[in-house]
Amino acid sequence: MISLAGRDILYAWGKFIFTGFGLGLLIGVTLVMAGVYRGMVDDAKVLLDNSGADLWVVQKDTLGPYAESSSIYDDLWRAISGTTGVARAANVTYLTMQVRQGDRDVRAMVSGIAAGEPGMPGWPPYLVSGRHITRGHYEAVADIATGFKLGDRLQIRRNQFTVVGLTRRMVSSGGDPMIFIPLKDAQEAQFLKDNDAIRQQRRRTAENPAFNRPGVPGLLDAVIASQSVNPFVNAVLVQVEKGHSPEEVAQHIRKWKRLTVYTRPQMETILIGKLIATSSKQIGMFLVILAVVSAAIVAFIIYTLTLGKIREIAVLKLIGTKNRTIAFMILQQAIALGTIGFIVGKIAATFSAPFFPKYVLLEPADSVSGFIAVVLICILSSIVAIRAALKVDPAEAIGG
Amino acid sequence: MTEKGIRIRGLKKRYGSGDTAVDALKNVDMNVTPGEVVGLIGPSGSGKSTLLKCLGAVIEPTAGQMVLGDDIIYDDGWKVNDLRALRRDRIGFVFQAPYLIPFLDVTDNVALPAMLAGSPNSDARKRAINLLRALDVGHRAKAMPSQLSGGEQQRVSIARGLVNRPPVILADEPTAPLDSERAMAVIRILNNMAQKFETAIIVVTHDEKIIPTFKRIYHIRDGVTYEEKGEGRAFE
Amino acid sequence: MKYLPFQKSTLFLLAILIPLLALFAYVAFRSGPLAPIPVTLATVESKRLSPALFGIGNIEARYTYKIGPTIAGRLKRLDVDVGDRVEAGQLLGEMDPVDLDDRIRAQEAALKRTTAQLSEATERKNFAREQASRYEKLLKARATSEEIFATKQQELKIADALQTAAYEDLARMRAEMDALTAQRRNLHLIAPVDGLVAARHADPGTTVVAGQAVVELIDPHTLWINVRFDQVHARGLAADLPARITLRSQAGQTQDGRILRVEPVADVVTEEMLAKVVFNQLPEPLPPVGELAEVTVELPGLTPEPVIPNGAIKRINGQLGVWQVANGDLRFIPVSPGVSDLNGMVVVRDGLTVGDRVVLYSEKALNARSRIYIVDKLPGVAP
Repeated sequence: MISLAGRDILYAWGKFIFTGFGLGLLIGVTLVMAGVYRGMVDDAKVLLDNSGADLWVVQKDTLGPYAESSSIYDDLWRAISGTTGVARAANVTYLTMQVRQGDRDVRAMVSGIAAGEPGMPGWPPYLVSGRHITRGHYEAVADIATGFKLGDRLQIRRNQFTVVGLTRRMVSSGGDPMIFIPLKDAQEAQFLKDNDAIRQQRRRTAENPAFNRPGVPGLLDAVIASQSVNPFVNAVLVQVEKGHSPEEVAQHIRKWKRLTVYTRPQMETILIGKLIATSSKQIGMFLVILAVVSAAIVAFIIYTLTLGKIREIAVLKLIGTKNRTIAFMILQQAIALGTIGFIVGKIAATFSAPFFPKYVLLEPADSVSGFIAVVLICILSSIVAIRAALKVDPAEAIGG
Repeated sequence: MTEKGIRIRGLKKRYGSGDTAVDALKNVDMNVTPGEVVGLIGPSGSGKSTLLKCLGAVIEPTAGQMVLGDDIIYDDGWKVNDLRALRRDRIGFVFQAPYLIPFLDVTDNVALPAMLAGSPNSDARKRAINLLRALDVGHRAKAMPSQLSGGEQQRVSIARGLVNRPPVILADEPTAPLDSERAMAVIRILNNMAQKFETAIIVVTHDEKIIPTFKRIYHIRDGVTYEEKGEGRAFE
Repeated sequence: MKYLPFQKSTLFLLAILIPLLALFAYVAFRSGPLAPIPVTLATVESKRLSPALFGIGNIEARYTYKIGPTIAGRLKRLDVDVGDRVEAGQLLGEMDPVDLDDRIRAQEAALKRTTAQLSEATERKNFAREQASRYEKLLKARATSEEIFATKQQELKIADALQTAAYEDLARMRAEMDALTAQRRNLHLIAPVDGLVAARHADPGTTVVAGQAVVELIDPHTLWINVRFDQVHARGLAADLPARITLRSQAGQTQDGRILRVEPVADVVTEEMLAKVVFNQLPEPLPPVGELAEVTVELPGLTPEPVIPNGAIKRINGQLGVWQVANGDLRFIPVSPGVSDLNGMVVVRDGLTVGDRVVLYSEKALNARSRIYIVDKLPGVAP
C-alpha cells in the first residue's frame, strides 16, 4: 500500500510548504509573545538576582527601592553592618534617567554602588568585557543593551564618565539597561540638579530674609552649602552570613533599627505581584487571545484543506478505500503540516527574539507545550474535517 | 447459467414513506452473462441511477434479489457484511468523468484498487501497466493525470475499473464526453475486456453513437425494465 | 526520464525540509537553556603591580585673608578689584569714618586746649616758684610775714599740682587721640601680605557689619589641592608620594605634584581621607580657586606577584573566588584578593598559581553545573 498522505504532499509540495510556513509564522508569533511575557517576569527576577542581596533595607513603610521611591541616610549601613547575621551591607542608589553619549540619549537605570571590590552587594556579578570600577569617581560599567562600548564618555547630569566595563542582562524591572557608577557620583546625580536650577535655588535662598541676615555673615553660605550636599541613598543591600536565615536577620533589623526590610521572596512578590503585575497581565491576556486566534486559524486551515479534497475522498471511498485509511491520510497530513509549522515557528522565534528591545525568554518548556498544543489542534481540527469528509456519499461520484 | 454474471429479480426501491413515498424502482429484472456487454437506456427520472446505485451496493434496495455469480448479495436485505469489500473486489466502476486521483501518477491510480485489495505494490503495478498497455495508454504510465488528454484519462479510468478483475463492471455514460471515434474506441475496449476476462458489463448510456453496438439492451421506464434485442452492429 | 516528474518534487521538498531540520536542530541545542555558555579565559600572570590611588579635589589657596572692618560701618571706598595684585601694606579701601574725623578734630582741639592749659599751668607754676623764691628771700630779709611766705609756698604747690593735672590731662587727651587715630586707621583696609584679590564682597556705600569680609586675598603661589580619597581605597596614602594632577578644564593634560600632607582628621560622614597635594610647578595661567582636579597618586611598585583581572572575581554563596578551568572542568576556587591597581589587575596569593586559567567573561552567570565552551571573544560584544 502506498502512502496517500505522502503522495498528496509530494504532488502539492509548494502549497504544502507555503501553508506550513504561513502556519509557522503564526506559531512563531505566538511563541515570541509567550517569550515576551516570560521576559518581563525574568526582568524582575534578574534584577533581584544580580543585586547579590539577601535583604533589602528601605525607608519605613515604603515598597522601595524598585516599586516606590525610598530615601534613607547613607550612614545607616554601618549600624546594619554590625547587626548579628549580617555578612556585608552596602549602600545603593537607583535612578532611571536619560544618559547622553555624543549625540544620542539612552534611557537607563543608573545605579550607585558603594566603594569596594567585586563581590560587594550591588556590584554586577559578572562582566562580558572590560573591568570593574577601580576609581572612586567618573567610571562606569554599562550594560550592552545601552549600546555603549568600552571607552565611551557618558554624560550623567554634570559629570562625564568613562565606560570601563560591560555587562549583559543587567536590567531594571522595566527592562531598562543598567549603568553602574560610584555611589558618591550617583548621590550627586540623584539629588543635585543642573547648573541652572542650582543658580535659581541659590537666588531663592539669598532672597529669603531668614537665611540672609546681615548680622550673621556666613549664614547664607552655610545654608547653600547644606543644600548642595546629599546624604541619602535609596536602600542598603545586605548579604546574610551562612547559618543565619534571612528572615531572622530581617526581623532583627526591623525591630531594632525601625526600618522596613524585605527578604528575597518578599521582593519578588512586590516586583512581580505589584510592579509589573499590570503590564504582565496585559501581555498575558494578549498572549491568550493570540494563542486562541492562532489555534482557530490553524484549525480553519486544516479544515479547509481537507474539504478541498472532498472529490478525491468520494472517489477513494467508491473504489473501496477504508474509512480508516482516508482518515489516517488526512490526519497524517495535518500532523505533518503542524510539525513543519512548529519547526518554522520555533526557528523564526529564536532568530527574531534578539531584535526585540526588551528581553524575550524562550523556554524549552514553552516550546514543548507549544508543540503538543499545535499537534493536538491539528488532530482535533482534522477530526472535524474527517467526519465531514466521511459523510460524503460516494454515490455523489456516480452521476445523478 | 454459468458461475459469474449478474441476476436481478424483482428489485424495488422506495424513497420516503407514507404519502410522500416515491417508488424509484418498481420491478426490475435483469440478467447479464459473463462476457456480455448490455446497454441500459432510459430517460432521466426513470430510475437509471437508482438501479446503478443498487447494483453498485451504494444504496440499499427496498425489496428483491440480487445475485452476483454464486453469491446472493441481496435478498430483501443485504446478505453480505462488507459492502465496501464487495465494491472493491467484485464491482468495477467506470464513470462519466475519469475521477482520477490527481496526486497519484497514472500507474498508481490504476493500481490503487489492487493495493487496497491487499496485493503487494509491485504486483499491483505490474497488472496496472499491462492493463494500460492493453488500453493503449501504456506510454503514459508515469504521467500525472493532469498531463493526459480527456480520452487518455477516460481509458486510464477504465483500466482502474478493471484492475481487480471484477466479475461486474458498471459503466455510467462512459462515452458522454467523447467524440464518435473515441466513443467507439471505448466500447471496443469494453467488449475486448469483457471477452478476455469474462466480465459482465452494464453500460448506462443514451449516446446514439454506441447504442447500435449492443447485442442486448434493457430499457427502463418508470422503474420497470424491458428487454430488447439490440442491433449488435460490428465496430468500425 | 520518465521518473522526472516524481523525483523533482521530492528533490524540492527535501531541499527545503533538510535545511529546515538542520536549522531546527541548531536552534534547539545552541540557544536557550540547553546551550553551552560561551566564556573567555584569563591566565594568572606574575606581574609587578603599580598600585595607584585616585581621588578628586578642589584647588584651594593655602591662606585666604578675609579683609574687613572691625566695627559696623559703611564702606567709603574700595580701590581694588578682583584680579588685582597688591603688596603688603597697600591700602585697599576705606570705611566711612562717619563722625570719626570730626571727633578727631574735636580731640585735636581738645588736645590743643589741654596743651594750652598745660602752658598756662606751667606759667603759673613758674610764676608761683618765682614768687615763692622772692618771698623766701624777703622772709630772710624780714621784709615779709611768714604767712604771706606760706601762702606763696602754698600757691607754688597748688600751681605744681595744677601743672601735673594739666600734664596728665594732656596725656589723657593724647591717649584718646591715639585711640581715635587707631580707630581711624582701622577704617583703612590694608593688605597684610603680597597677594591677589580673589573676591570682592561689597561695593562702596554698602553697610558692612563687623567681621564681614569686604575683600578676600590669596597668595597665588600657595595654591594647593584639597583631595578626597575613599577610605576603602586609600591604603598606603602618605606624605611626599608623587601625584599626577588633571585639572577639569584641561582634560588630557597632567601636571606633576606631590602629597604635602595627609590630614589627621578624616571625613566621618563621607568616609573619605583628606590630603593636600601641591604642584611641583604651578601651571601658567593659574588655575582658579575651586576648580575640580583629579589626582592619581602613585604608590611604590610591588614585587612580582600572581595577578588576575578583577572581572574574574565573583562572589558565590557568600565566598569570593574565581571559576578555574582545568582539563575542561569548571571549579570554584575561593581566593582572597590583595592589592589592586587602577587598571583592574588584582593580586591573588592563595588558591591560584601562575599559569592557571580562570573564567574572565561569560555570557551568563555560571554555576558548578554549567556547560561552557571557550571562545576568544564573546559573540555580540564589541571590545
